[in-house]
Amino acid sequence: MIAVVVALLLQAAAAVDQPLPDPALEARAQSLMRELRCTVCENEPVSQSTADMAVDARRKIRQLVGEGQSDGQVRDFFVERYGDYVSFRPSNWLLWLFPFVLLVGAGAYLALRGFGRRHRELAPVPDDRNNESA
Amino acid sequence: MIAELGHLLAFFALAAAAGQSVLGLTSGGETVRRLAVASGMFSLLAMITLIICFVRLDFSVALVAENSHTLKPLIYRIAGAWGNHEGSMLLWCLVMAGYGAAAGLFMQEGKLRDRALGVQGLLTTASFAYLLFVSSPFTRLIDAPFDGGGMNPLLQDPAVALHPPMLYLGYVGMSFVFSLAASGLINGQIDREWAKRTRPWALFAWSSLTIGIALGAIWAYYELGWGGWWFWDPVENASFMPWLVGAALIHSLIVTEKRGGMSAWTVFLAVLAFVLALLGTFLVRSGVMTSVHAFATDPTRGIVLLVGLGLAGGAALALFAWRAPMLKPGPEFDPVSREGALVLNNLFLSVAAALVLVGTVTPMILQWLGDTGMISSEAASLSIGEPYFQLTLAPMVAILLLFMPLAQAATWRKAEVSPLMKWLAPAAVAAVVAALIAMAMGGWGLWLGFGVLVGVWVVFGVGFDVMRRVGPGGAGRFFRMPLTVWGMAIAHLGIGIFVIGATVETATRTERTFPLKPGEIAEMGGWTYEFLGVSSVDGPNYTALRADIKVTHGGSTEIIQPETRSFPLARTSTTEVAIRKTLTGDVYVALGDQVRDVPGSWRIRIAQHPLIDWVFGGAGLIAIGGFLSLAARIRARAPVTTPEEATASGESPAVPASTPA
Repeated sequence: MIAVVVALLLQAAAAVDQPLPDPALEARAQSLMRELRCTVCENEPVSQSTADMAVDARRKIRQLVGEGQSDGQVRDFFVERYGDYVSFRPSNWLLWLFPFVLLVGAGAYLALRGFGRRHRELAPVPDDRNNESA
Repeated sequence: MIAELGHLLAFFALAAAAGQSVLGLTSGGETVRRLAVASGMFSLLAMITLIICFVRLDFSVALVAENSHTLKPLIYRIAGAWGNHEGSMLLWCLVMAGYGAAAGLFMQEGKLRDRALGVQGLLTTASFAYLLFVSSPFTRLIDAPFDGGGMNPLLQDPAVALHPPMLYLGYVGMSFVFSLAASGLINGQIDREWAKRTRPWALFAWSSLTIGIALGAIWAYYELGWGGWWFWDPVENASFMPWLVGAALIHSLIVTEKRGGMSAWTVFLAVLAFVLALLGTFLVRSGVMTSVHAFATDPTRGIVLLVGLGLAGGAALALFAWRAPMLKPGPEFDPVSREGALVLNNLFLSVAAALVLVGTVTPMILQWLGDTGMISSEAASLSIGEPYFQLTLAPMVAILLLFMPLAQAATWRKAEVSPLMKWLAPAAVAAVVAALIAMAMGGWGLWLGFGVLVGVWVVFGVGFDVMRRVGPGGAGRFFRMPLTVWGMAIAHLGIGIFVIGATVETATRTERTFPLKPGEIAEMGGWTYEFLGVSSVDGPNYTALRADIKVTHGGSTEIIQPETRSFPLARTSTTEVAIRKTLTGDVYVALGDQVRDVPGSWRIRIAQHPLIDWVFGGAGLIAIGGFLSLAARIRARAPVTTPEEATASGESPAVPASTPA
């Protein structure tokens, strides 16, 4: 009887951070752990924290990944329970788009200002002292 | 008495700075210079008195009583002087006044120096006023306690003792770049001479900032116990934004100095770098977020900082709007030229800074809107972290770096790309081969291959560019290369090495936690770890649990001893990881908690961080490159030639001269 209890306890302890047998799945699980937030910590992903929430989240992530769920499904599972706050990967597409819009917009502005106009008549400044520095 | 002396010295520093600002902005000359040096000296003496209070453990000084302790080792008593809000504000004032004093000592006299000292004096006066009237480090306690409250044990570390001074040399150093920009605008002189005299200050501040940020990352790596070195935490981003803008600035200053172009943009960046440094300080200090840096959350500090930020930024922008129309555009250039490449550099770095800014402040603004009830609480809670910054920033940085070796080799005004291909084709081949090898070794990750491709391209591209410059002359010519070329090459090489290290580390690091009982063995990546047990050890102001682990790899065996230290006074504990360095990276072992309900079993966290030293070494090279460039500025005090002169002296008459716009 005691042996059974000890065996169960050992199994429970081992279940903490027991990696998935498939290294590819484990790698996916670990990268998910890095982008989900420990909601009771200050600014930490669940991969780092020793808080109970993080330990539970790690176990849940491995379970879901092990069951064959996609990264998106695992993320949705957590966002449904904890809200957008739990994911370090914001779902708002405006946020994702804006840096590239800014880059293209600023680039277009520079082109219109004439930075893109070829000056075939110009010659390089000869390789003198002015050219040495950067 | 010593604390009162410090207080008095701080008042002297304030008075000198006030005089410096009035005279600097109205007249100028020798008196301004002397006042600037005096203000710096008084600030230094004030800082020294505070350090003496900390070293002598004068608990009648409130700050010492709160932040030090008899059991604290000497070096941390010294560092404790700036490891708190009031003390770090004094450090801020010292660095600000110190830049003024340095300018007084080293800058050649003239209106640029006088007005810059005036503006710097204004900033220094405001900082000292805030220090003395709102948060004085020299306040006494009526009942001195017998012992102090101690210091956040996480900060009791050599890297983090040096982190604030270096970071401030960078962060606060941007204030003098700002002052030079304001001075140039006031004088209506933003030209090649201005750029030439501003660039050393920008290089010094930016290189110091690089070291300050790297020290913070190193500290996070080995002190926080999880092996990360950058987490896109708002605190980190707060220093990264001025770094990005500073990087853009030191490049655009080259165009202004060498060609007289981009002057309006350059002066705008000089203002922006300081405004972002102030914004960063606001984010860190006002308590809008919590972190190890938020020493105490005090809303009044936030308001003062916000007002200061608004005043400095607003005044500079007003000056800029007033003077911008009179700034002349530089001579024309072809898009394929050194100028064109540097415009591209500035475009990418500025967009990167904007993206980090938006990613950092959006969650804070939303949270504030939620707290005030303007939007629902679901809409208000949002996290932006590593996946966002990595996925948006990486492609931009990659494009920027693909152009870097070309930019290095490009000539001013117009560049011929085809002759460069001879030199850069081997770099491209090396990059592709290295990327394929890395992917084959690291599990065919696209991310890994992409990062290694870019990094190796940069390293080889820089190498071939140096070979091209040296030409067939051999080693002698190599060592006679101008310092500026050395500076550029080393900094750019550092970027390549950093990129390789950062991608390989993040893409292939492995970590695992093993529950182990004494005598049990864990295996990971060809290493065996035999857990021998945990013992209790006493330190100066902590007690530690120390694990003994026998590590075996390739026939050699050694004992490593990770610890967890608990600091009874601060009621916190820290992890002291055991790191074993190898040529290919670190093996990193941390002692975790005891496994619940299983007596004698401990969680041992084992991680492998490949090429981690490349990350920090790359950052170090970037800073060294910056300092070498600065050394070159100081050594070469040759008179500036105007673009017309350069054109007249160097250009072949067969080519029609360009008409400066």
